[in-house]
Amino acid sequence: MPKFNALFDAIDTFLRTPATITDGRCHVRDAVDMKRIMITVMIALTPALVAGWCNVGYQHFDALGGGGSLWDYLWYGFLKWLPLVIVTYVSGLAVEVLFAQIRKHEVAEGFFVTGFLIPMIMPPDVPLWIVAVATVFAVIFGKEVFGGTGYNFLNPALLARAFVFFAYPSVISGDKVWVSGVDAMTCATPLALVMNGSTEAIPSTGALFFGLIPGCIGETCKLAILLGAAILLFTQVADWRIMLSVFVGGYVTAVICKLTGLCPVASYDQLLMGGFVFGAVFMATDPVTAAHTRDGKYIYGLLIGILAILIRTLNKGYPEGMMLAILLMNIFAPLIDYCVVQRHIKQRQKLLSNRKRVTA
Amino acid sequence: MNYVITKGLDLKLSGEAPDSRLAFNMPGTFYIRPSDFRWLTPRLLVQAGDVVRVGTPLFCDKKDERVVIVSPVEGMVREIVRGEKRVIEAVVIDRTSDDDTVAIVEFAEPADSQAVRKLLLQYGLWPCLRQRPFSVIPSPDAMPKAVFVPCFDSNPLATDFNVLMRDKEEDFLYGLQMLQRASGDAPMHLCMHEGADNQFFEQAENVQKHYFSGPHPAGNVGTHIHYVDPLDKGETVWYVDPQEVARIGEFFREHRLGFAKIAALTGPATSQTGYFTTVYGADLSGFLNEALATDQKRVISGSVLSGNKLDKFPVLGFYDRQITVVDEGGEREFIGWLLPGFRKWSLSRTFLAWITPKRTYKVNTSLHGGRRAIVLTDVYDKVFPLDLMPLQLLKACEIKDIEQMEALGIYEVDDEDFALCELVCPSKTECQRIVRESLRELMIGL
Repeated sequence: MPKFNALFDAIDTFLRTPATITDGRCHVRDAVDMKRIMITVMIALTPALVAGWCNVGYQHFDALGGGGSLWDYLWYGFLKWLPLVIVTYVSGLAVEVLFAQIRKHEVAEGFFVTGFLIPMIMPPDVPLWIVAVATVFAVIFGKEVFGGTGYNFLNPALLARAFVFFAYPSVISGDKVWVSGVDAMTCATPLALVMNGSTEAIPSTGALFFGLIPGCIGETCKLAILLGAAILLFTQVADWRIMLSVFVGGYVTAVICKLTGLCPVASYDQLLMGGFVFGAVFMATDPVTAAHTRDGKYIYGLLIGILAILIRTLNKGYPEGMMLAILLMNIFAPLIDYCVVQRHIKQRQKLLSNRKRVTA
Repeated sequence: MNYVITKGLDLKLSGEAPDSRLAFNMPGTFYIRPSDFRWLTPRLLVQAGDVVRVGTPLFCDKKDERVVIVSPVEGMVREIVRGEKRVIEAVVIDRTSDDDTVAIVEFAEPADSQAVRKLLLQYGLWPCLRQRPFSVIPSPDAMPKAVFVPCFDSNPLATDFNVLMRDKEEDFLYGLQMLQRASGDAPMHLCMHEGADNQFFEQAENVQKHYFSGPHPAGNVGTHIHYVDPLDKGETVWYVDPQEVARIGEFFREHRLGFAKIAALTGPATSQTGYFTTVYGADLSGFLNEALATDQKRVISGSVLSGNKLDKFPVLGFYDRQITVVDEGGEREFIGWLLPGFRKWSLSRTFLAWITPKRTYKVNTSLHGGRRAIVLTDVYDKVFPLDLMPLQLLKACEIKDIEQMEALGIYEVDDEDFALCELVCPSKTECQRIVRESLRELMIGL
């Protein structure tokens, strides 16, 4: 059945490691491959996910008047997440398998992570059909059109969220969407509260850190996200340069905003609000769409941090500045790399011509 | 001068060769393969049935017929094996004499560079030299800007030069002098391992001595050249293995021409390890019959990082000095990518092998994955010690952007410098092949 090669291979190598042996001058290889890297990212995302289930459940019960145990919260959140993740994977993988078949290459593993991420950056009650459309859009235009995993320049998960944000804004912005199961009840996120000027209603730093606030499924519990960050950094899957630069850039900008009175929120609270931490750890560090050079990564990260806070503070229409900042810097990453490479080339030329002058 | 290499990787494998001798019976068959000499297109100078002696030219380089490869033994040419498109795969020689595989040659003492070169070319010793860039046999007319002698090998299970060079001091020192004359008195650089027993190489005079420390590829000649005297477009350097220097020295000092060589049998999949004395081209199928008999083992001429698999002509490559035997891989694990992997070697810490830092790992020839586009961008920088941008250079090679390749320093590297990148790449990119093919395009273009 030649028509279904790609699907068959995908399932086959999913179940058992491939039997390929080396064919070239390097006869042994590192045991890591793309599947291993992807599963490591998914493991790193799991704490944030589980914390997210608990939070979705907690917000729901709390809005209805309280009650319910931790198990109730977890179960509620899990049930809210399950259809989302199934829809995401089915629609995304269908597109991937189709493209792999047409192009006659193997189904790449990149979508494992994207499909895991997309539900985590959606509000809990988002309509399933919108998520499916957004996922298909993101996979086609964020990845396959350019050649698949490794060839894209925009983060596909963020593209899905941006699609929903611009095409169906009512489901992802405003005050009514962040708590599951309660219609027409206004429960603003902390960011929205800040934007509206009601700063005394901002949750405490503790609540922000542990994630007992309304928000998207995976973004709320910063502790869980940082645990994921530790996993990513320890296994050397994510580059610490990007993570550090995003935090530094964001922090400095937040301090400046506080000092100049642009925004009354304390700088560390500013960082803990919204999708900043989640974006810094899981989105900005996507190696394909970030800058590829070491020095470029610092610039890339710094600008993301700076822009995210600036967009949030200066534009009340876009409280979610992180997504836009990352997508914007995705577009600029090749330019940053180009400048770094050019500088390296010029340094080399200077070095070589200096040597010639010395020895001549 | 001292150089500390910080980036790189030492792959700890079991099966290092102890300082002991393995018995090696000189076989009756010899295979001389043009493919040992990079990108050399041969023109045959013998045919089946011809009687040859040590030093009889077998074939020459079509591009410069002064460069000849000669017979290492006395015997008769049994056949010329040709492959696809009539490419010469091997000249097969049956050894007829039981004498030493050495010829005594009469010649006048060479006075200058031209004379030394002429003698090296005539008696098939010119291929002992290689040049960078391209790692090909140098043109007989070119003047290199320097000559490098790498005095240690940092590859996995590398041979110990103190064993290889035992009792060859005088030949080595004389060989250095002759090479200096041949190169037109270009500066000569001996690159040794910091902290190792370098007594042998310290005896050399009129040379510049450099000491390298750090992980592999501290021993690669590419690393040495990059730090000591980097190459720009249009420049060339020669590099010569110490055993070949001694061979040249023996030729000029004692008028003896011979292609004997000491090599090591190493590897985690061979029961016997040790050093053995062989002659270039000797058929190793008797010596390695245990390893070659089974499909479950891979026998490599050279190191696991940049060696060549022994094919239908089981001989040691001209420039190689070890045989490595590893297990063939390819076993299929159920959901292997999800399992903890306590014994899997990885540079990343995505497997739980880091919990028990074993000295040696279970390595085999499994690819451990499928070929993908490059995703992680920081991996090569961790193992590439040269001050270049390996990922960008590799990408420029893949898209054949010659200007970008030159600007990023393609002339400074060769495929073996990318061996570690190929080892650790999660996308299973064939870095060495890409670099080698790009260098070939460049050489043809120049």
